[in-house]
Amino acid sequence: MTAPSTAAPTRPQALPGLWLLLVAVPVAALPHAWEQPPWVIAVLVAALLWRLVIHAGHARLPSRWVLVPLVLAGGALTFSHFGTFTGQQAGTALLLVMVALKLLEIRSERDVVVTLFLAYFIVVTTYFFNQSILIAAYSLFSAWLITAALIQVHGGRPLPFRRLARSSALMLVHALPIMLILFLVFPRIPGPIWGSPGEDTVAQTGLSDRLEPGDIAQLLENEATAMRVRFDGPVPPSSLQYWRAQVMTDFDGRGWQADRDRPEIPAPETDAGDVAYTVTLEPTRARYLPVLDFPASLPPQARLLDNLQLVQRNRVDSRIQYTASARLDAPPALPLADEERARALALPENAAARSRVQAGLWRAMHGDDERAIVTAALELFAGEPFRYTLRPPRLQDDRTDHFLFETQAGYCEHYASAFAVLMRAAGIPARVVIGYQGGQWMDTGNYLRLRQADAHAWTEVWLEDAGWLRVDPTAAIAPERIETGLGGLFGDDADAPAFLRRSGLPWTVQWRMRLSDWQELATFRWESLVLAFDPERQRELFARFGLDATDWRSILIALVVSFGGLGLAAGLIAVARRPGDDRDTAQRALDRVSRRFRRHGLEREPHETVTGYAARLSAVRPDLADPLADLARAYTRLRYAELSPVERSDCEARLLRALREVRPGVAWAAQKKRRGSAPASAPAPR
Amino acid sequence: MRPGELKSGGAGAASSWGRLREDFIRWVTRRHRADGRRAVIGRDRVYILPTRQGYMLLAILMVMLLGAINYSNNMAFLLTFLVVGIGHNAMWYTHRNLLGLEVTALPVAPVFAGTASLLTLRLEDRSARPREAIHLSAAGGTPSRPAFLEPGGSTEIAVALEPRPRGVYRLPRQRLSTRYPLGLLEAWTWLTLDHEILVYPAPIPLDTLALTGDEYDGEQAENAGRSDATPDEIREYRPGDAPNRIAWKAVARSGQLFVRDNGSGSGAPVWLDWDGVPAADPEARLSALCHRLLEANAEGQPYGLRLPGARIGPDTGPDHLARCLRALALFGLPGHAAG
Repeated sequence: MTAPSTAAPTRPQALPGLWLLLVAVPVAALPHAWEQPPWVIAVLVAALLWRLVIHAGHARLPSRWVLVPLVLAGGALTFSHFGTFTGQQAGTALLLVMVALKLLEIRSERDVVVTLFLAYFIVVTTYFFNQSILIAAYSLFSAWLITAALIQVHGGRPLPFRRLARSSALMLVHALPIMLILFLVFPRIPGPIWGSPGEDTVAQTGLSDRLEPGDIAQLLENEATAMRVRFDGPVPPSSLQYWRAQVMTDFDGRGWQADRDRPEIPAPETDAGDVAYTVTLEPTRARYLPVLDFPASLPPQARLLDNLQLVQRNRVDSRIQYTASARLDAPPALPLADEERARALALPENAAARSRVQAGLWRAMHGDDERAIVTAALELFAGEPFRYTLRPPRLQDDRTDHFLFETQAGYCEHYASAFAVLMRAAGIPARVVIGYQGGQWMDTGNYLRLRQADAHAWTEVWLEDAGWLRVDPTAAIAPERIETGLGGLFGDDADAPAFLRRSGLPWTVQWRMRLSDWQELATFRWESLVLAFDPERQRELFARFGLDATDWRSILIALVVSFGGLGLAAGLIAVARRPGDDRDTAQRALDRVSRRFRRHGLEREPHETVTGYAARLSAVRPDLADPLADLARAYTRLRYAELSPVERSDCEARLLRALREVRPGVAWAAQKKRRGSAPASAPAPR
Repeated sequence: MRPGELKSGGAGAASSWGRLREDFIRWVTRRHRADGRRAVIGRDRVYILPTRQGYMLLAILMVMLLGAINYSNNMAFLLTFLVVGIGHNAMWYTHRNLLGLEVTALPVAPVFAGTASLLTLRLEDRSARPREAIHLSAAGGTPSRPAFLEPGGSTEIAVALEPRPRGVYRLPRQRLSTRYPLGLLEAWTWLTLDHEILVYPAPIPLDTLALTGDEYDGEQAENAGRSDATPDEIREYRPGDAPNRIAWKAVARSGQLFVRDNGSGSGAPVWLDWDGVPAADPEARLSALCHRLLEANAEGQPYGLRLPGARIGPDTGPDHLARCLRALALFGLPGHAAG
């Protein structure tokens, strides 16, 4: 028996769900410990401890006179640290600080609920800093806890944790289909609505738009993934996998500057022999899109420039995916305008004096045979004691001359730069291209993974009969770099980073690497399936169903159809799960009679026997006395007599026949209004 | 306070807004037949609307969605839509928490004026799911504690109705509601289960009423005297004898049930007479009669009740007491012949 009682004012520590909240909030906030300034985390931890002390009954809730200054101080601290309240970092910090202070203010059920809603928000802000699959799994756990706490708040009594856990998990599972549909169908708008996302996040590593010998060396230590490639068809040989990102024509004596404002050219005709592939590119904070040399068909959002570089309109601030194809061996024949030729031959006045002498010698030796000059330069690299090393000595004075004639040790960008200078000095137009080369083939996922360490620089020279021709001087020094990637080059070098080495590693490191391969695969799947979904992918998805993702009617159709399908499926499951009708024929017949007469207030009472009920009905409806008696007799026989199958079916038939006749009937309902007159028909003699 | 009449009690619609609301609810519930004693909560009578908390979550979700759009953050989209899905499904969970319940109104125990009657509903469930946190409210009643049902179980849920003057009332309309599991939505149903609420007059002793009158005092003394003068006889227990009259010594000796009988059962009974109460106010008279009735009952002596236009013969036992009290409760109300 539930005794009624007026609700006593609840002590704050007795609030339902509060203890779960005190677990869920730190769990939701935990990933921020790596991203937020330490003082934010300190505030959160201090507030939690304070609240726990209150929870244990050792202290009282702080009064308004304590809380208001604390809130103001929290805001001021945030502003002084970030100089703003907006943006991902400052906004998140503010949210965390305010939730921390809210913990000290929770007095009512409503406060608990608001704080739990904000905890969902905290989970979302995690993704501003990290979108890995691990974080995804972790935040599912956070959401599960928060939901469990919400259930406890509204459960009205302390629920056993197992039930909370189960209910919360079921809710998440039930919500997954809706999440999926909305994720796919909700209209995606490209680009930010306000502000520029990522301005205040940590700079991402990638290729810079200036090349000075020494730059790429930092990248070579960088294990991070730059891009992942999946090929539609056979994988081209490693020695042909040049991923072109930026072209550099302007040389100032020290380094090379990436081309800007090049005119756009039409995409080449596609051909059956093209190598098609899909790239998942990590954010670069730049506009270039690395493509396999030489670009053939292009992704729709990209433009091809006349230096065969691919760019898109906006910076790549988030991970994107695009599909393109390449023609491996045939650079498109493009004319070279005079002014372009002059640019590609330009050398600063007093740069590379010794190199000019060397180039002049070659020119004199080979005359107009430019191919011979190219070969001579490559032979210089192959013949002299040039070394390929990631830790070259520092270059002084004129960098090109110092490298070519003094140190003679360097890596791709030293060679590419020096080679281009030599060619220009010899009167052959030349430029530097940077991008990626090599990479690691991931057998587990059938894709190519290019790390930042796979960054590479090579040169292109203009020959009258061939156009821009790729020449990779690094291949002359260290052919294994080109054919098998960095791993081939440093596989046995004990100084090289572990991920480049192949032998001499302890088994722990090998296991770690194997594990990281699996993690890499999961990440790839996650990124290409989930994170790469953008307006472009959505357009493709809609197009597959003949819909247009930018048309609201199409979106409406997609929503209605998918939610309709979901509702139908849920309905079918509900019907299939409904407990079966375990009543027998007799019981069903009796229930039906009772239902028919319910309208007239003659429902069978739960305690009433069949015979009693039939008698009661007959008293009101003498005209139905016969079928009612039949029904009761058949019911009783079916229930209690021992019947042979034949008798049973016979009895059931009589029952059903009687059931057909026992109806209140419209006529009777009308007659009931003229109550007082005699029943229409007298009971017929039996 | 005026004695209550037979009406749907409690709907004290003070403001015009309250009246409008009351009219609306009446219009909505007109679709259902009057429920009688028992109702099954079907789909056609469960209503559901978001709560304030529901709107609050909606606002927070909007901000989350804006963030996801602005930063083109796919995981933010995913979590936002996950919570949207949870909120959407909460509709179903909450609705389902109420759906299919079988509700029976239990008889309301009569009370004396000034005490709260207890509206009690029995909730039964045949489904395989537990039911959580179901609340009952009724106009003019304090909200109930939540009720819980294990799968296939049953429970009772009650609200104390506001105390009323003596009379008979109908149960006010009941509202069975739940916000489980997330509090984002409230599902409710209006029930018009019926039972009568009987409110007896408050028993007030005459001296408290500050009455004077030799006649009355004499009668009282006479009654008291007779009660004391007649020695107890022992006779066999008859159904209906008050438990406090059982002669335990005799029972212990014989193993059979005996009661003390002071002979009043066969002797002249006490008559409680409307005209014998020296009070001008009819309600005061009824209160005094009520008090005397209870006294007489406690003493176990047979008593009868005489009211203008009604006479209840002398007798003893709980049934008789109930009849007499009922007569007092209904006295003078339109449509009720007392007794």
